[in-house]
Amino acid sequence: MIKTQNLWKIYEIGNEKVQVQALRGVDLEVEKGEYLAIMGPSGSGKSTLMNLIGCLDTPTQGEYYLNSRLVSQMNDDELAFIRNKEIGFVFQTFNLLPRATALHNVELPLIYNGTESKERIQKAKKALEMVDLTDRITHKPNELSGGERQRVAIARAIVNNPSLILADEPTGNLDTATGAEIMKLVDRLHSEGNTIILITHEADIAAHAHRAIHLRDGKIEQDEKVK
Amino acid sequence: MQFLESIGVALKSLIANKLRSILTLIGVIIGVMTVIAVVSIIAGMNKYVADQISSLGSTTFFVDAGWRTIMSEEDYLKVLKRKEFTLQDMEAVKKGCPLCWKVGAEMVAYRKVKYREKYLSDVEIDGSTANITEISDINLSSGRYPSEFENLHNRRVALIGWEVADNLFPGQDPLEKDIKIGNYYFRVVGVAEKRGTFLGISQDNFVMIPITTFNKLFGTKRFLAIFVKVESFGSMQEAQDQVRLVLRARRHVPYDKPDDFAIMTSDTFMELYRNFTSTAFIVMIGVSSIALVVGGIVIMNIMLVSVTERTREIGIRKAVGAKKKNILWQFLVEAVTVALVGGLIGVILGSIIAKIVAATTPLPAAIEAWSVITGLIIATSVGLFFGIFPAVKAAKLDPIACLRYE
Ligand SMILES: Nc1ncnc2c1ncn2[C@@H]1O[C@H](COP(=O)(O)OP(=O)(O)OP(=O)(O)O)[C@@H](O)[C@H]1O
Ligand SMILES: [Mg+2]
Repeated sequence: MIKTQNLWKIYEIGNEKVQVQALRGVDLEVEKGEYLAIMGPSGSGKSTLMNLIGCLDTPTQGEYYLNSRLVSQMNDDELAFIRNKEIGFVFQTFNLLPRATALHNVELPLIYNGTESKERIQKAKKALEMVDLTDRITHKPNELSGGERQRVAIARAIVNNPSLILADEPTGNLDTATGAEIMKLVDRLHSEGNTIILITHEADIAAHAHRAIHLRDGKIEQDEKVK
Repeated sequence: MQFLESIGVALKSLIANKLRSILTLIGVIIGVMTVIAVVSIIAGMNKYVADQISSLGSTTFFVDAGWRTIMSEEDYLKVLKRKEFTLQDMEAVKKGCPLCWKVGAEMVAYRKVKYREKYLSDVEIDGSTANITEISDINLSSGRYPSEFENLHNRRVALIGWEVADNLFPGQDPLEKDIKIGNYYFRVVGVAEKRGTFLGISQDNFVMIPITTFNKLFGTKRFLAIFVKVESFGSMQEAQDQVRLVLRARRHVPYDKPDDFAIMTSDTFMELYRNFTSTAFIVMIGVSSIALVVGGIVIMNIMLVSVTERTREIGIRKAVGAKKKNILWQFLVEAVTVALVGGLIGVILGSIIAKIVAATTPLPAAIEAWSVITGLIIATSVGLFFGIFPAVKAAKLDPIACLRYE
């Protein structure tokens, strides 16, 4: 489902010719239904890789196929279309619209693919039901706990039935107990057939996945089965 | 949906920051308000003036030494030096202008008019030839016009204006009563219909008497205007040329000098009036465009702040699939909404000002649909024009940079 070939990402900082090689030739294949953890020390390029996989960014060099489509050469609007249709993001910092209700936050991806309002509300409510937040749909993010916010974010990630869910340190801002709950939810999403890529520092979070890759200095250092 | 959402966001933030909103909107409000107020007043005047002027009729013109077209002090001093017209001039026109169907004359003085213990000071006394009532329309509400016979024999009869009748004869029939004009008694033979006011001046505060009587009692050295009616509009121009020729000859105007008198048609007045309103329009355009540009820049500034404040929101929207045009529209709609709110307030305030002006001054006002629509279109354009830059800026932002933005 995902196939990258010799993926490079080089950042140029300022007008001095300082270059940061965040990714240096990553080859990665992920099958449908996999549960993958991306691990590695800070600055190793995990988020950079996720941004590329999530079509938020394009590689400096190399090719990226998502569902057999060559993504690495698409323009901004084509990428936006792919993000909307194929990808569900879960971020460490939740990234919810602060002034919108939980329901509206979950509706957001459906707004941008032109789903009609009735159907949209119905789907959003169903997604919130999946994460057990039926009684919080009219709450704004600042009226929700951290765990609840992350569940809203997960509902938003799944509402459009994406082929891939990307979670960048989804438990990073949560206490251990709440983190565990969120991971339970992620496990459940996987068991329901979703493809999941999870970025984390922590080995016990990574242990939820079935496969783990380790990045170091922008390269895959290790690719192992977890059990 | 995206539309409604953006409008909602704009309205909410306007309501949330009331002071900031007022400051944001003030330029647009003043701009649109000026347009609406001025356009309404001018539209009101247009209607009124067109009515008044067209009552002169398209087959009538008149000639005077230039008093009625004075636009400046210079004009005034020039006219002051000119010779006044006399009844002999009128007779000459009658002879020398075959195309002039009816030729009449009118002189004007201001006198106190009295009936028993009631009186009005400074009433316009019109000394008129009998045919003047056929040349310019004065309708009777009762009685009759002074006759040709009475004119020939300088009889002391008077046709009084509605206001004079109302003031001197409240609840009475003025006909056949004797009023005192200056030091002389006149018999009332007719009362004119109410004509209303023109630019705040009553058109009903007059007494019309035979011009011969006027000459005898109030002197001949008064402003005299010669009135001419032609049979059809087609002969207007030629008749005017004939009259011009006669009068230039009588006044010994050298061929290379301009007329030392003025020939006026309803078009002349329309022209004068247009000159006046176009000045008002230019002032309005000046004031409102400055206000609108300032207002637009303020809106642009506020929108730029809004884009920066909501960088993360833009990132989130892009992450879940918003395209450039979605973000562009969101901020454009917001800018237009803000500007339109200003425009609406401007329309309301402008209408109120027009109403107040109409109520407290002689100026009329007519709030017309097209001026309201124009005001709102102007506001929308300001929103679009000054909103486009911030919106484009927002649309171009990089999603990752936005999501990182603290
Ligand atoms: N926009 C950018 N401009 C310049 N350099 C960048 C940019 N984004 C990331 N980098 C650099 O690229 C490298 C990889 O960064 P990345 O965010 O992928 O690391 P990470 O593995 O996610 O780290 P962490 O675990 O701390 O989140 C880092 O050295 C970082 O400084
Ligand atoms: Mg990271």
